[in-house]
Amino acid sequence: MDNGYFDRQETKKLLWNILWITCGLSLVLGLFVKQKSYFPIDDFYGFYALLGFMACAVSIIISKGVGFIFKRKENHYDVDA
Amino acid sequence: MLMHNLPPGLILIFAAFLVYLLPGRLKNWCAIIFSVLAFWQIVRLSGNAILPFQLLDLELAVLRVDGWSKAFAYIFTLSSFAAFLYGYHEKKSHQLCSGLLYIGSALMVVFAGDLITLYIFWEVMAITSVYLILGRKTKKSYRAAFRYILVHIFGGLVLLAGIVITIQQSGSIAFNAFDPANPHLGTWLILAGFLVNAAAIPFSSWLPDAYPEASIMGGVILSAYTSKTAVYALLRGFPGWEILIIIGSAMAIYGVIYALLENDIRRMLAYAIVGQVGFMVCAVGIGTPLALNGVVVHAFCHIIYKGLLWMSAGAVIYRVGKSKFTELGGLYRSMPWTTVFGCIGALAIAAPLTSGFISKNMILAEAASNNLFWPWFILKAASVGAFISIGLKFPYFVFFGKSKVEGLPQPHREAPKAMLFAMSFMAFFCIYLGIFPGTLYNILPGAELVKSVMPYTFWDIYIYHFSSLVFHVQLLSFATLAFFLILPFFKQTNTITLDIDWFYRRGGVVAYLLFDQGLNGVNNLSNRIVVESGMKSLAKFFRDGPARILLFFVQPLWSLTGVDREGSRAMEIKFINRFRNCFFSIGNTAVSTLALILLLLLV
Repeated sequence: MDNGYFDRQETKKLLWNILWITCGLSLVLGLFVKQKSYFPIDDFYGFYALLGFMACAVSIIISKGVGFIFKRKENHYDVDA
Repeated sequence: MLMHNLPPGLILIFAAFLVYLLPGRLKNWCAIIFSVLAFWQIVRLSGNAILPFQLLDLELAVLRVDGWSKAFAYIFTLSSFAAFLYGYHEKKSHQLCSGLLYIGSALMVVFAGDLITLYIFWEVMAITSVYLILGRKTKKSYRAAFRYILVHIFGGLVLLAGIVITIQQSGSIAFNAFDPANPHLGTWLILAGFLVNAAAIPFSSWLPDAYPEASIMGGVILSAYTSKTAVYALLRGFPGWEILIIIGSAMAIYGVIYALLENDIRRMLAYAIVGQVGFMVCAVGIGTPLALNGVVVHAFCHIIYKGLLWMSAGAVIYRVGKSKFTELGGLYRSMPWTTVFGCIGALAIAAPLTSGFISKNMILAEAASNNLFWPWFILKAASVGAFISIGLKFPYFVFFGKSKVEGLPQPHREAPKAMLFAMSFMAFFCIYLGIFPGTLYNILPGAELVKSVMPYTFWDIYIYHFSSLVFHVQLLSFATLAFFLILPFFKQTNTITLDIDWFYRRGGVVAYLLFDQGLNGVNNLSNRIVVESGMKSLAKFFRDGPARILLFFVQPLWSLTGVDREGSRAMEIKFINRFRNCFFSIGNTAVSTLALILLLLLV
């Protein structure tokens, strides 16, 4: 079967490159702009990049942990299964 | 005059009865057109009006028009129009009827100025929405609907108790903000009743339990009203109640974690609703004018993009017949338009140039400026979590990613035109509000205040406040990076995750067993003791008791007169039989009577 556009290796590579460039560019631009800070920590350089990365990683790790304890088979509640 | 003050909810309730009289597609047109009429009626309602209505000796305020109620009513009718357009395939009158009644009642609740009107339509909403779940007509949906109505009956009764106590204490049925400095049992119960419908922790699990089992149109309708009506009620009744900050923050975290774990697409969206309602509940707890206006903005944007996501998920289920991440993927080839609209809905949770970019800003800014570090931090992190679960996980596993639907007997097609049209309508608003939020800010009760603080033109948002855009892109791009780096280790599994409903789903079985074994055991034991052996012994006592007592005295006499053991046994049987038959010789009776009289005389 013919591979769709998003299944091709070159598209995936392109999307990865766009992502890396966006991350890099936003970090570089972060050096030059400033916004109102409310708390001592959100003034740090790269705070939002770190928050974005860590919030994603930590929430996946926590959800894995919760899943480890509370995941059940799909028919867990089925009475006539 | 009457038409000017006609409650918009009644227009939809009237349409609900009309659909039964109309044939074929006219039913669907009726629902769509009356949604537009209701919207038009809201536009015509003059500000700060109250329509009184006499019920017994109570003066109800069935129509309280102000900025808050109008803002919520606008989005409710917009969403109603889109949902019925989307549900153009729906032929069943009862689905359209219950949908219209449900939305009509939600509008009545929004415009209710007193607790009695609020309660009546609150309950009508609960009852009519059940039919949208039952409409799926599966065993699972039947059971989910049963649990759903039980939870809502419980919530409704708690609310009723609270209303009765509050009216008793204050002497007024008016529905205004309750004083957080002076809480009493009545207000706590009303708060609990509202929180049940807002799917707040610990009453949250009914929403992800029931909504994903609803019919395809039903799911889209349900996603918008019950929880947002509850948010509206909280906003009116409990602004500044600090406990809501804690509850809202907990809901935001819970929504993210469970949405990441979930395998069913509509159940994941349901968890995401809980998470986003958490933002609104938290903002109600903050309670400042800007935070409350932020609630309206977030509710407005949330109803639109979440409606769009439910629509795209419904379209996938309608065409492919599968609803699991583990069974979908690669649909961008066969359903390109659904993919485009689904992606717009997914990105509209946070991405720049969509409504998500502006919708949470007011809430977060208010948390920060009130020096509430932890709520601010949690909501900020939860907004990243919501972005990865809705903005990335949903489109990746459904529309992109590896296709797992190749083996289906028929190649699936693009969604029906009406569905695509409804989705494009919602997608348009997702983008429009991200670029020109000024239109939305204008309908807010605190429009002037909001516009004096928040940027609202394209130039102002994206060019003048370029720094916010940069930091926001940092947040999202690094979250995306983390997601795709972790993706190889992040496998979706065909599982469910135990939730708070475990307590009543398993608890129900345990309670049943307990009552079955416990109470039936007591019943059996009583039967054995009283009916089977007790009554028998009692009967035996009354039959043979006097004879046995007499034997006690007579038997020694027999042994004195030389009767042996066998003879004594035979005489005993004869003696007892005489008593049983009441067959006594006259001589014996006369002697006994005489002896008794003598005994009495001697004593």
